[in-house]
This record gives sequence, C-alpha cells and structure tokens, in this order.
Amino acid sequence: MRLGIAIDSRMCMACYCCFIACKDEHCGYGSSISEAQPMMGQFWMDIREWERGDNSRRIKTATVPTPCSHCSDPACMKVAKNGAVYKRPDGIVIIDPEKAKGQKAIVDACPIGAIYWNEELQLPQKCTMCAELLDDPEYLGYLDDSKKKVPRCVEACPNNALFFGDLDDSESEISKVIASNRVTQLEPLEGQETNIVHLNIPTIFLAGTVYFPKEQDEVCIGARIKLTCRETGEKWDTKTNYFGDWEVEWLPKNKTIDIAISFNGYKPATYTSFTDSDHYIDMTYLEKE
Amino acid sequence: MTEKVTHSICVGGPIAIHTKNGIIRRIRPIIFKDEDPAGWVINARGKKYTPYRKSTVALHAMTEKIRAYAYDRIRYPMIREDFVETPDGQNRNTENRGKSGYRRASWDEALDLVTREIQRIQGTYGKESVTAITSSHHSWGLVGYKLSAFARFFRMLGYTQILDNPDSWEGFTWGAPHTYGYHWRLGGAETFDLLEDALQNVETMIMWSHDPDSTRGGYAANESTMWRHWLDDMGIQFIYIDPFNNFSSVKQADKWFAPRPGTDAALCEAIAYVWLTENTYDKGYIEKHAHRFDEWADYILGNATDCTPKTPQWAETETGIPAADIKALARRWASTKTMGGSGLRGGFGGVCRTANGTEFARLMVQLFAMQGMGKPGQNIWSGNTGAPMDYGFWFGGYSDPLASIANQPVADNAAVNCVTQKLYRPNLPDAILDGHYEWYGEGFCGGGIDLEFTEHIYPEPGCSKIHMFYRYGGTFMGTMLDTNKWVRMYRSPELQFVVNQDIHFHGEARFADVILPACTNMERYDIGELCNSGNGGYQSHSQTGNNWQIVVFQDKAIEPLWESHSDYWIFSQLAKRLGWGEKYTEGRSELDWCKRFWEKSDLCKRISWEDFTRKGYYLAGVPENWERHYAFRWFVDGYPCDTPNHKDFQEEGKLGTFTGKFEFVSESLLYWAPYDETRTPIATYKHSWEGHHSIKAKKYPFHLISPHPRFDYHTHTGSSTPWLWEIPQNRKYINGNPYLIARIHPEKADEKGIKEGDFVLLFNERGSVVCIANITYRVEKNTIHAYCSSPIYNPVKPGETSMDIGGCVNVLVPGRLIGSMVPGMSPNSCLMDICKYEGPLPDCQCFESKLESVAFDADPDAETCKEIIEGHGFEKIQIKVMEKYKDKDGSVK
Repeated sequence: MRLGIAIDSRMCMACYCCFIACKDEHCGYGSSISEAQPMMGQFWMDIREWERGDNSRRIKTATVPTPCSHCSDPACMKVAKNGAVYKRPDGIVIIDPEKAKGQKAIVDACPIGAIYWNEELQLPQKCTMCAELLDDPEYLGYLDDSKKKVPRCVEACPNNALFFGDLDDSESEISKVIASNRVTQLEPLEGQETNIVHLNIPTIFLAGTVYFPKEQDEVCIGARIKLTCRETGEKWDTKTNYFGDWEVEWLPKNKTIDIAISFNGYKPATYTSFTDSDHYIDMTYLEKE
Repeated sequence: MTEKVTHSICVGGPIAIHTKNGIIRRIRPIIFKDEDPAGWVINARGKKYTPYRKSTVALHAMTEKIRAYAYDRIRYPMIREDFVETPDGQNRNTENRGKSGYRRASWDEALDLVTREIQRIQGTYGKESVTAITSSHHSWGLVGYKLSAFARFFRMLGYTQILDNPDSWEGFTWGAPHTYGYHWRLGGAETFDLLEDALQNVETMIMWSHDPDSTRGGYAANESTMWRHWLDDMGIQFIYIDPFNNFSSVKQADKWFAPRPGTDAALCEAIAYVWLTENTYDKGYIEKHAHRFDEWADYILGNATDCTPKTPQWAETETGIPAADIKALARRWASTKTMGGSGLRGGFGGVCRTANGTEFARLMVQLFAMQGMGKPGQNIWSGNTGAPMDYGFWFGGYSDPLASIANQPVADNAAVNCVTQKLYRPNLPDAILDGHYEWYGEGFCGGGIDLEFTEHIYPEPGCSKIHMFYRYGGTFMGTMLDTNKWVRMYRSPELQFVVNQDIHFHGEARFADVILPACTNMERYDIGELCNSGNGGYQSHSQTGNNWQIVVFQDKAIEPLWESHSDYWIFSQLAKRLGWGEKYTEGRSELDWCKRFWEKSDLCKRISWEDFTRKGYYLAGVPENWERHYAFRWFVDGYPCDTPNHKDFQEEGKLGTFTGKFEFVSESLLYWAPYDETRTPIATYKHSWEGHHSIKAKKYPFHLISPHPRFDYHTHTGSSTPWLWEIPQNRKYINGNPYLIARIHPEKADEKGIKEGDFVLLFNERGSVVCIANITYRVEKNTIHAYCSSPIYNPVKPGETSMDIGGCVNVLVPGRLIGSMVPGMSPNSCLMDICKYEGPLPDCQCFESKLESVAFDADPDAETCKEIIEGHGFEKIQIKVMEKYKDKDGSVK
C-alpha cells in the first residue's frame, strides 16, 4: 500500500479551503506523530501561485497546492540522525517530534521547502497526511463509506482538485485520475517517485492576437500560426479564433521558438520567442501583400 | 470522551462541529449518509451530470472554530472608561469615542444602564429618538437573525428604523425594473432551471463584473464551482468583463476585457451599434416584446440630439478596449447561444455600484433582450443559480416574513413598530451631523417601482431627532461610504448614548459607550437552510445556487464562552427590564422557537422533530422528474407564466413595466422622473461625477475599485482569523499588523517607483490608507484594486480621521449617492492617487489600541497582543476555556 494525494492544478481555484482545514486540524493540536503546528508561519498545505504572462492581453495564474511530497526516497530522511525521519509502511513520511529536536538540517534538505522550522521547539515540522486521523479508530469516516478516511485538505476541497487513495491499487480512484491526466512533478523532484502526485501544472504558453491593418479595426479570424522549436524541431499549429487570438499551451521551457503568422493575401509576420516564461507575443497588424 | 458531532450553518456553508470535552476540536463539511437522497441528474450533450455527495464549504466556514476562540472575542460587558451617565445626556466626553479605553462591567450593570438610557431618552424625546441597525449575515439561522430576534425587540420597543440601501444590487435595483420589471427581485432576473438549460444549450458565457468563485452565490459555499468546470470542459467560451482580472476570470476566462471603471455602459452601447448596423439581433422578438425600440436605436446610431453614433471606435476612447475587439465580442455574442449576467446572481456586480450603475444595468438587460432572452441557451444567467430543486418543499428563509419570530405564524403575536420616522443607512452620519436629511425611496423597493419615489425627510415633521444609537453585529467602517464621516458622527454629542452588541471587537465597536458580548452560532440553538434568503423574498429560491437543499438544526455545540450570551438572551433581558419580557419571549426558549420553525414549515411533514435534531440536518431530495420552470421561457413561448414567485400579470405574458414589455424608452421614468439627469428615460452612457472626465482626475488620476471580498464575508471573518492574513493575495502580516493588498499595473508602478511588496499610500481628499503593493497585469492600467469590507479599521490616531493601516479603503470612497433621485451607493466611482509610503508606521497598533482589555484576558502573561496572536494563543485560550468549563462542573449538554 502506498497512500498518496493527487493534486490537480487545473481544478484548483485557489479557494484556500484545504489551507484553512489543515490549520484547523493542526494549529494548537499535537499528536504522537507531530507537535502542534504553530498558530502562524507554517504552511503544511501551502498554496503556491504565480502569475502567467507579461501583458494584460493574456494573463493567467498557476496554482499548486504544495504539501510535503512524501517522497519514496526522501532527502530529509537521508540527513536525519537517529532515525528522526521515517517512512511508514503505508508510505507516509513522518518526522519524529522527539528524535528530530534540534535537527535543522532536515528543513534544509527538503528540495521543495515543505518542511518548516519551529524556533520555539527547535523542531522541523511538516504535513503528516493526517496519518494521526487515519490511524484513529474514533475519527469518523467520509461520505458513504464509513471506513474511508481522508486527510482534512482532501475532504475540504469543494472542487475535486485533491484525490486521496492507494497508489499501488490500479483500480483506486486516485490511480484512475492520475492515469487520465498529465502528470507534472514539481521541478526539484523531477524523476523521483513521490506519494503526492501533481497533475496539470502548466509549463509555458505563447499567445497573441492578429488584426487586419489598423485602420480596418477588425480582428483576423483563421490566421495560421506555426510554432517551431529551434532546438528540437518540434512544431505546433494553430489558428486564430473569433477574437483573432491564438495561444499555444504546454510548450517546453527554456527553448527558442520561431513563430510564423500567415493569412491569404497578407504579408506573413514572424517572431522569435524564448520560453523562459509565458509571453504574449504581440497584437499583430497584418499588412497587404 | 468521544467526540460529539453537532451541525451548524454559516455564510460559508453547512458544517459539522466536532466537540471534545466541551471544546470545539474541528470543523468539517457535512458528511452525507447512505439514507440521504440521491442527487439530481441532468442529461446534456450525451453526458450525465450529478453533484458530488458532499456539502461544500467556503474558506470562512472552516474558520468557525478559530472565530469562536478568537483573540478579539468580546469577553464580557464593557463600559467606556470616561463615560459619565449625566442625567441630561450632555457632557459625556463623546469626542473621546474611538479613543478611550473600557472597563469591565457586570451584565446587571450594563443592562441596567442600557435600560435606564432607553427609558430616559424615549421618555424625554419620544420613541423615535432611539435608532438601531445591524449588519447583514454575521450569523445564520432564523431565530437569531436580524429580521427575527433583533427585529422583534426593536419593533416592540418602537424605534426609528434605518432603511438598508440595496448595497449589492444598486444599479440593478434602481435601474433594471424600469426596463423589464422584476422590482420584486430588486432588478435581478429569475433563473429557474437555467443550469439544465445552460448545460444543454449554451455556447458563450458573458461574465460581466462577475467573480463567481469569490462571491459564491451569496452564501452558497462553493456549490456551483463544479458547474462552471463542466461548462468549461464542454468548450463553452467564458468571456469576463471586469477592470480586474478577478479570481474566477484568471482561472477560466477564454477572453478578458478590462474596461476603464465606470465605462461599461459605453461598451453596451457599442455592442448594440454593431448588432443594429449588421442586423444581427432578434428582430421578431424585438418587434413583439420591445417598447419604443426605434427611438433608442436612433440614439445608438447617432440620429438623436447628441448626434454621436455609438460606434466601437467611440467606445474605444471611453473604455480603452480596441474597437476591433468590441466588434468581435458583439459578433460572438450574436452568433452563438449566449448567457451571462453581472455579479453574484446575475443582477449584482461592482459595475452596478458606480455613478453610471443604473444605466449599465438597463443596457445590459436590453442587450439580452435583443438576442431573444428566454430562448434555450439565451438568458440572463451568471452560472451560479438555477439548479433543480424540489419546489414543493417549503422552509423559511431569513427574509421571509413567515419565517421570523417577529411575525405570525411563528410568533403568537406579531411585533409592530409604532414609529414611522425613518433614516437611510448610507446617509446616517449626514443626518446625525447636519440634523436634517432628505432622500427618495424605501431602501429595498421590492414592493413596487413607485416606492423608489417616496419622499423622506428627517426628522419627520413632528418627530424628534436621534439621541441613542444601538449597533449590532459587524462594522460599517469597511462596508459603507466615506467612513470618516462615521467617525465624526460617533463623536457628535447629538448621540448621547451608543450601544454595540457584537461577537468580535470589530472596527466599529470601539466607538460605543456600552459593549455587549454576544456568542457565536455554535454556542446557542438555531435553525436554518443553506442559502435560503426566503422564497417570495427579493432573492427568491436562492437555494437553487446549491447542489443540495439542506436544512440544518444548529445545535448548541458548547456553552457560551466567557460571559457572552446569545442575542436572544440579551434582548430578552432588556425586554424584561423594560417590563415586557414575557411579551417578547412568549415564554419560549430558543430551542422552542427552533421547533416552531419546524412545525410551521414543510419540514414537519418530512421528518420528526426527534429525528431531525438527532441527525442534525435534513436533505431535501429532488424528485427524479422534477417540475421544470425554465426562466423566461413562458415569455418567449407565450404560455401563462409558471415560474415560482411570479406575479399575476406575468400570466398574461407581461413584464413588470408599465407596458409589460422591455422598455427601451422607460415609461415609468417618463412618469416619475422625466428630468432626472442621472437615470434618463433612454438609458445612456454618462460621464461619472467622479471619473476620468472630472476635473478632479488631474489631481487624483487613478480609479479605485473595491469589490466584494474574496477572503472575507462582509466584515465578519478577517479580523478574528490570523490564518487569513497569511494568504498572499489577501494581506501581508508585518510587525503585528495585517496590511491589505492593493493591486497596481506594472507600467504605473514603474512610473510611481513602486516595487512589489512596497508600502503604498492610497489617498484622496477623504482620507488615506496604507496598503501593500501587488504589481500585476491583472488590473486595468488606470485602476487600483483593493477589496472593500475590511473588518479591521485602524487609524493611526484612534478616534480621529487619520491615516488607516487596517486596510479600510472605504474611507476613500465617495459618500455621494448615484443621483439626487437615485439613492444607491457608488463606491466604485472613486478617484485617488497612490505613492510609495516611507513614513513611520506604528507596530501592532491594531491590537494595542483599545483591544488590551479584550485580548489580554486570553493570556495575561503576554506583553503584547502580537504575542497572543502569533504565539500559541489559540491553545492557551482553549486551555483557559477548558479550566473555566471544569469549574462549571462540566455540565455541558
């Protein structure tokens, strides 16, 4: 059994219910597997957000709820002394609140910054995947299935952006969700197996709008947009929509992309862009041939 | 001891409360049981859609525990330390209100004082010299709500009622009824069964000044978020129009338009221009259902006296949106099945709270009419109401006259106010300070269009002025206008006596002479239904914003904390001292009243009282083949209107206007207000009295927009919940003070030398507020976005109209109403300037000033309130509560 949470960035509307539910559960309350989360300053379920785009013409945000990833081979466990970090048989990674005292290296070892230092207790702390509740026979179950228990963040999510279950069971809901979505691990953990599986974290978009010559005040619908990656030769094709807008999502990061815009009877327009971040290329005004 | 699970409901949704040893341990969404009914199933485009089997919550619901034990709970009755009970009401140091500290008082002392003052003031000046008002929704439930326990008390006492303005609907209330009626819904359209219609038919959604994931159907938690995902997944195009790329838009918009604030009506006119010139509107529909359309069309085309065709190029100069884009928007709308609306439930939104709000509302309705409103997939529907519901099941909502302990049949005897004098909330300070105020309208004018034109004068001839103010729940400092006026009002000796009854020490409590501590919903009994504002009320069937119709027994989870008491207890005690206690209570406890609501509704036919209170909630299922009453379909298809909550004339196919048609030239305005320049018979785009054409714009070049907040509910959550201050999009917690985020466009930030995270001063002639800058492409270039409804009001000089560091941007917004005959507020017509702030800032002032007496009780060892908030204050508070609880020999039910 390997318990995990699938986190779908596309479904997450950054409503912060999981964030507050986690605080409601852990602030002020410790258990045998963790000390209480301090009232402020720690985010066992952290909502990481960034703005995508460099122009008001096309702007989005990416939202990535980020708890401890419960890695299969945790970096924090390697630096921990006296077995202060251990992995339970169900795959949940726990920091022992007694043994970990004074071990700040555990905090520093986390590649994604999901472990927090409690100055007062001199203790590293993080998400427990609510293991203390999963273990508690008196904690009430979830929905129709009285045996099914889920972490507080998952239960509080109003939008099915979080799924909890057994990753080893290919028939479980979580396994099906993962199988039918784009798996996008956090960059520092790329290539590693983790029990938190991030889905649909966006990469890079390029976008723009095509207009007929300025004096016409008309958008150009159906212009052809060709994107070519200089490094890999990969190509993407799209057309402008009813607003004259074009957009290509899921582009590879840090590549040079050549963009060719064409429409019958007009001079082609070309651009080059680097995918270090999301870009709105231009409001392109076509010129007559 | 095992956990006890009770249930409650709040503006953030229904909740299960887990209590252990008399202390609330955690708050969870309600867990549905096997026996609960199945959810509805909508078949659309080859798929079946059904809601998930859980009640959703919004983030405020998850804060209920921390709010109960909050550092800023008012713990015991308090009296202002320099208050002197002079026999004539004079010389009471009223100028120190907001400045002075408080001393602890016993309940007897406080209640006796309030009673003596009511008797003295009413005895000296008459019944009407006492006034009282509440905020909306600081609690939930039919017993404790303002239209129930509070209303019963003050109506029996006799008092000058303060009329609420329709603060969330302004432009729609005062505008839309003149175009298409629906005054009984305050200008909003009916939306019955439109979720199914949309899932089956719609192709484009217009979300105009609408952030559904932030306003959440009013108080429908996150019930409808999934619906919009379903639509999105089908490829439905979402077009958002808002000067701020709001939190729903930034996640979902296929296209975002950012008009300059207050110019939306110009955009409407240009869309109409495109349709008229390209012949892409529903001519048959207009011929049949529109009144004086051609005159209006002439105005749009430039054939009227202003000789200005409302071309996309013309609109570009006003809105800043390229003409080509406006044309594309108009064509997309006309060529696809389009639904949409403004704000919350379709007739709301920040744009309706501008100087041009009525005209926008009317024009938006006219646009939907031009595309055949009521046909499948074409309607006013903003994606968060209109779910299937069992129309045969009736349980009262909070605004329902049949569901109040102030009225029959719930009470044996109704409470009737004997005073006719009225006041109007937005101008309360003007009335008190100037001693005279005149205005039009009855506040909420759902009873008829004519009510908009009733004339009011304060003081009413023969009546006395106000000398006592009883304030209950929440703070208007963060929700009303030009709120430094409220500070001046509180300092006026005209108000001889001020009472504040609340749960938390909000920004307004510190102006009272006597503070009475009320308890939270979880410390008393009540009963209520999720998002039910009252069938037959102004937002009739608002529960269709939910997936599930759920009535909750709001059981008492714990005893009232510290010395707080329920609102009902407080009013009962005052009534008793005034000599009519029995009459007020009719011998009923709160639990007895809860049972009355069960007994006087359909609930008693569905579930026994014992089962209901044991289980804690009742889930009303939707019959498999539920009755459909598609909104507005009756109008298009010409059958007698069958939608719930309809009026008789609708059965004859008429709208609620004079002519029964869509009035493109309003006959009701020609009749009542033909010369009003704000709201003209033909709805037109007009320059704002505080907008970019104003002379003042040279001095204050930025528009401030302050929409309804995403991270709070009115002012009820944000002060008591430090966790919310850690949300980067909400506030930034520095040195013990949570500063509000203000958003500015990168280009303008650059001009002003402002960097991300800098302290900035937002200022104009009315006041100034220190915020933290967030530099973002999500705002229109000339716009500063900062949420209204700050629960924290924290002037650097307490009791003065000085710079605020609590994020209360309402000190900046104009007190002026939309027009002399349009008594709506328009906080989003606000000019201001911004600069980097490098001056001194007090540490942690918010909690040092006046709050010591409140917060230090939580942890007497702490040196500062900051320590209490940041330390393990919560745990310590709980331990103290537990000890107290044990002293009371643990006899909690």
